[in-house]
Amino acid sequence: MKDKLKVSAAPHLHKKGESVSKIMWMVVLSLIPAGAAGVFIFGLNALRVIILGVVSAVVTEALLQLFTKNKITILDGSAVITGLLLAYNLPADVPFWLPIIGSFFSIAIAKQVFGGLGQNIFNPALAGRVFLMASWPKYMTTFSAPFSYDAVTSATPLALLKEGKILEHISYWNLFLGKRGGCIGEVCILALLAGAAFLLLKGYISWHIPGSYILTVGLFTYIFGPRGFFSGDWLFHVLSGGLILGAFFMATDYVTSPLTRRGHIVFGLGCGLLTAVIRLWGGYPEGVSYAILMMNAATPLIDRYTKTRIYGTKFSNP
Amino acid sequence: MKKLIKEFLKGIIKENPTFVLALGLCPTLAVSVSVRNGIGMGIAAGFVLLGSNVIIAMIKNIVPERIRIPCYIVVIATFVTIAELMLKAYSPVLNRALGIYVPLIVVNCIILGRAEAYASKNSVINSLFDALGMGLGFTLALILISGIREILGSGKLFGYTIMGGVEPALLFIMPSGALLVIGLLLGLFNLFKKDRA
Amino acid sequence: MKEMMRYGFTLAVICVIASGLLAAVNSLTQPRIIARAQAEEDAALSQLLPRASSFTPVKSGGEVIYYKGYDKDNKFLGAVFKASGKGYSSVIETMAGLTKDGRITAIKIVSQNETPGLGSKVAEPNFMLRFSAKDVRELSRVQAITGATISSTAVINSVAGKAREIEELIKNER
Repeated sequence: MKDKLKVSAAPHLHKKGESVSKIMWMVVLSLIPAGAAGVFIFGLNALRVIILGVVSAVVTEALLQLFTKNKITILDGSAVITGLLLAYNLPADVPFWLPIIGSFFSIAIAKQVFGGLGQNIFNPALAGRVFLMASWPKYMTTFSAPFSYDAVTSATPLALLKEGKILEHISYWNLFLGKRGGCIGEVCILALLAGAAFLLLKGYISWHIPGSYILTVGLFTYIFGPRGFFSGDWLFHVLSGGLILGAFFMATDYVTSPLTRRGHIVFGLGCGLLTAVIRLWGGYPEGVSYAILMMNAATPLIDRYTKTRIYGTKFSNP
Repeated sequence: MKKLIKEFLKGIIKENPTFVLALGLCPTLAVSVSVRNGIGMGIAAGFVLLGSNVIIAMIKNIVPERIRIPCYIVVIATFVTIAELMLKAYSPVLNRALGIYVPLIVVNCIILGRAEAYASKNSVINSLFDALGMGLGFTLALILISGIREILGSGKLFGYTIMGGVEPALLFIMPSGALLVIGLLLGLFNLFKKDRA
Repeated sequence: MKEMMRYGFTLAVICVIASGLLAAVNSLTQPRIIARAQAEEDAALSQLLPRASSFTPVKSGGEVIYYKGYDKDNKFLGAVFKASGKGYSSVIETMAGLTKDGRITAIKIVSQNETPGLGSKVAEPNFMLRFSAKDVRELSRVQAITGATISSTAVINSVAGKAREIEELIKNER
């Protein structure tokens, strides 16, 4: 009897024919359009960053599992996703060692130290990004201009906004297609939405976290506009920065987000509030990664208060 | 004599104040940006610990049970103030680097912790060796943490550049880097202890 | 009641001994501490106005606003003043020397707590030298450090603002 009760770590699956690794590879598939768009926009340097990020994430995972004499699980795709997402969160012209160190930090410190897939508290890719951001801010905030291919730098629209500049030559359409400065994987909203639609249709992610996240950011930035209440440029805030990438692909990480639908809504709301507050009043132009990481830390608490009721019992307050 | 050596040695590894007892983490986090600061802090705290442990072991029978804490605090605060005045007079650079954390040694939990847990129950000579061991353990822990942080965070050791051409990871000289380093070292310490047990 | 008296007495004795000890240490270290502070200030002053051989503080309400520097023949050379401005994560305090014809001789960052490796670069010679021999009115053209605009402009603006004030004050000085 004892052997039959196995408690496994999240993600928990209940559909037939699904496995953790199948879902992981599907997520990888859904991320390809955004990466392809990034390479198209920023040139081959972007491809180099992506390859370096993915390869070093996988190698780090394999080496650590070899070293600690654990089963090597690099084929489950989770390390690939981490490396991919980390690379998507970097500017295209970073030095070659930056994605390598970032992937190492993501896998070694943010994932394996906690016990590997399912045990980590924080989204590994975001933890790696924040580590790089704090350590080498010079490289992390130097963005190349779109379609220039020769190291012309340009600030992101959000950074320009933070410096109090007026954004004239940037249209919503350019933001949507990705003609702007930014990280490799975050600029082309169209490609990101295509990948997200695939995941939503297949049922790998639900709309609850991205929906409540994006809605909160839009609403909040609209209400607290620069010229008094209800004057904010909400569409600009939704389309710029890493919001779409973060909301669909990083906030929805199974391991580090709450379990229930109600929990998802609370999680998305919290992410949205934090992102908007950081963007509007914080020291950084962009706050998506910090917001998601902070809500990652709050996930156990959210789970505790949004437990589903056991059928036939009353709610008991924790 | 053998027992005294044991009292001395326990503070270094087996009951290391930072990695095993997890005491005094606040100054550890704050000042461990460079090895120089780490050593300075370790010596200042070790000096206070030595003074307070010896005096408290001496007066433990005179001080009534119910007012022992205020008495201990007065003793500790006296030694901290002496340490601060000495630093100001003889090493103003170090004093400025350590800043507010010198007066804050008063509330360093290693010192009151050893007073309460050890000196108030043991003889003067034992308390002396306990303080020496704990002070050395604290200093060694600070040297280890600040060494890692200084090398990774500014590419230097003792203020001399040792990693020319490599851009250091600034995170490690920020407070969050201190938490990261201490957390990983605590984990390593526990790993080795588990292996041995 | 008797217990209480005993407690009070014990604590009082400990406090008296402690304060006696502190008084002794204080009287031993005090002269040294004062001498150190004085030496540091002198060093900073002569570094910022190298040709001056003596300084006199100009006070207003007990506080030093600036120092006047004179050369060997007691001729007025210029002033040294302190300026402070809000940077990215701290108040940056700067000392600067100003000649009587309205040029900055040199500046020195006294205290700052900016982001290490980025904002903290304002305390490096490379940045501080950009102020040398600049006219007071030219200060706004001092170039900021790339990536550390907020910290740099805090220094530039605070020095420029204070320099103009001090220049007014010393204009008629000989």
